[in-house]
Amino acid sequence: MAQSYAVETSGLTKRYSTGVLAVSDLNLRVRSGEVYGFLGPNGAGKTTTLRMLSGLLRPTSGSAVVAGGAPGSPASLAQLGAMVETPAFYPYLSGRDNLRVMARYSDASKSRIEPVLKQVDMTDRARHKFKTYSTGMKQRLGVASALLKDPQLLILDEPTSGLDPQGTVEMRELIKDLRHGGRTVLLSSHLLNEVELTCDRVGVIAKGKLVAEGTVDELRARGGGQALLVTASPIDQARRLLESLLKPEQVQLRDGIFSLTVDPSQAAAINRRLVADGLDVSELRVSEQSLEDVFLQLTEKQP
Amino acid sequence: MIASLRADGLKMRKRWANWIMVGILLAWLVLLVYLLLFYLVKTQPASLRGSAVPASLLKRQIFPENLIPTVLSTASSIGAAIMIIYGALSTASEYGWSTIQTILIQKPGRLAVLAGKLMALAVATVLISLAAMAVAALCAYVVVSVDGSSSSWPAATEILKGLGALVLQLAVWAAFGAFLGVAFRSTAAAIGGGLVYLFVGETLLGGLFRGAAVIKEILKYLPGINADAVNSAFHLSYRNPSVQAALVDATHGVITLLAYLTVFTVLSFLIFRRRDVGGG
Repeated sequence: MAQSYAVETSGLTKRYSTGVLAVSDLNLRVRSGEVYGFLGPNGAGKTTTLRMLSGLLRPTSGSAVVAGGAPGSPASLAQLGAMVETPAFYPYLSGRDNLRVMARYSDASKSRIEPVLKQVDMTDRARHKFKTYSTGMKQRLGVASALLKDPQLLILDEPTSGLDPQGTVEMRELIKDLRHGGRTVLLSSHLLNEVELTCDRVGVIAKGKLVAEGTVDELRARGGGQALLVTASPIDQARRLLESLLKPEQVQLRDGIFSLTVDPSQAAAINRRLVADGLDVSELRVSEQSLEDVFLQLTEKQP
Repeated sequence: MIASLRADGLKMRKRWANWIMVGILLAWLVLLVYLLLFYLVKTQPASLRGSAVPASLLKRQIFPENLIPTVLSTASSIGAAIMIIYGALSTASEYGWSTIQTILIQKPGRLAVLAGKLMALAVATVLISLAAMAVAALCAYVVVSVDGSSSSWPAATEILKGLGALVLQLAVWAAFGAFLGVAFRSTAAAIGGGLVYLFVGETLLGGLFRGAAVIKEILKYLPGINADAVNSAFHLSYRNPSVQAALVDATHGVITLLAYLTVFTVLSFLIFRRRDVGGG
């Protein structure tokens, strides 16, 4: 059966009038029903991409299909709930009245307001004016607004931005709940653990280009998969020996620990050699390469 | 568009700034038009005693028979300023608060969002016009009753025509403010630009350089001048001869105002539909 995509872009490019190329030839495919993490450092082009997918920005070239329609078309917007960048609402209205306004715009039933307020745990503060809300409450109201239409596709741009640790945990739990019912969630973030904890697949964007896409495990494998971590002293002597045993690019020293990109089955042989040369080996273990390592490799490689 | 109209209606109703604008307009009408003039003709201060116009004639300005031209003259000054601010607030604030991006990712397309907003503005303009006319009528009734004089109300057709003229010119200024809000995406720039045009561009320069032939030709196509031409078509018991005659006739005025209303609306749609929201 053919795979259906909630978001599919082809050569999506955005060059601002200032000449800045924010997004370049982006080919993104978000499968229906998955939580897709859109990962990249600040300024990589994540928000610009999400703005194009929401119809707020017009691409310079390329095309996109979002929830079955062109970005910004009524057909697409009817199936799309989005919170792009900082949640923006009317400061003089209460949280509940802001949702009433958005429900009117989106033709959503008024009866949806209380359930979505409850879903984001904002019922108690809903009568207060938006201008009195903390960052966390604003984020939660933004998610509530995005949920009003009960959309098939939810786009959330840095939903934990500005939240305290407790708020971040709560938001992650909320995001996990949001996928129920076959809903697709496209989540942008520059926080690796957030993506690792919540997403099925990840796309990594750097300097406007998609540099990798896959599951977290696939990305780890792409970065070399596993590594052998060795703590041995004296460090200088250990480095010379390891670099003579392996290629120099396979040996990296970070915080006093050698990270060797070798097959873990070589662990015993390497240990024997180090001990035989009179080195003290205090630690030798196999480590999964973290997403952070992969992320840094992928994003730093970009010219 | 109906969904958007309902949403904007709710926002307008709940916004205090809008009620303050309407309050200022009505208070101006009551205090500075009716009460002040009535007080002056009643107390006859020294400055008024030498006037060539007898007080008995002057006070008829605020009697029911002159309801329409009195309301229209207020509309062309403070009314215009209020409606520019009202229109600018309705569009520019969406950019100031960044709510424009929140509403554009709801269901209606961009044109429906703006159409709803302008429709809400139009409904507000009609309601403000009705309120201004009703308050003025009440003031005129109170004034003539307190004075113990007799006066007649304008004919129903005249009232309807006057209401139409009032709605038209207030709508032009509101559309101008809304257009500036969309164009500048800044409340301060839209209000500042609109008021500078109204009070400096048109009123001041138009008054100072009216004698120059070229300027006079240009003035014939400015909204304020054409609004004045429409207003002067309504009968007034006494017109101050020092006030300059209208440069164009009322028909020219109505057509020009309708043209401005169309141009401001179309330009707003063109800009709103095409322009990116957010980003570099």
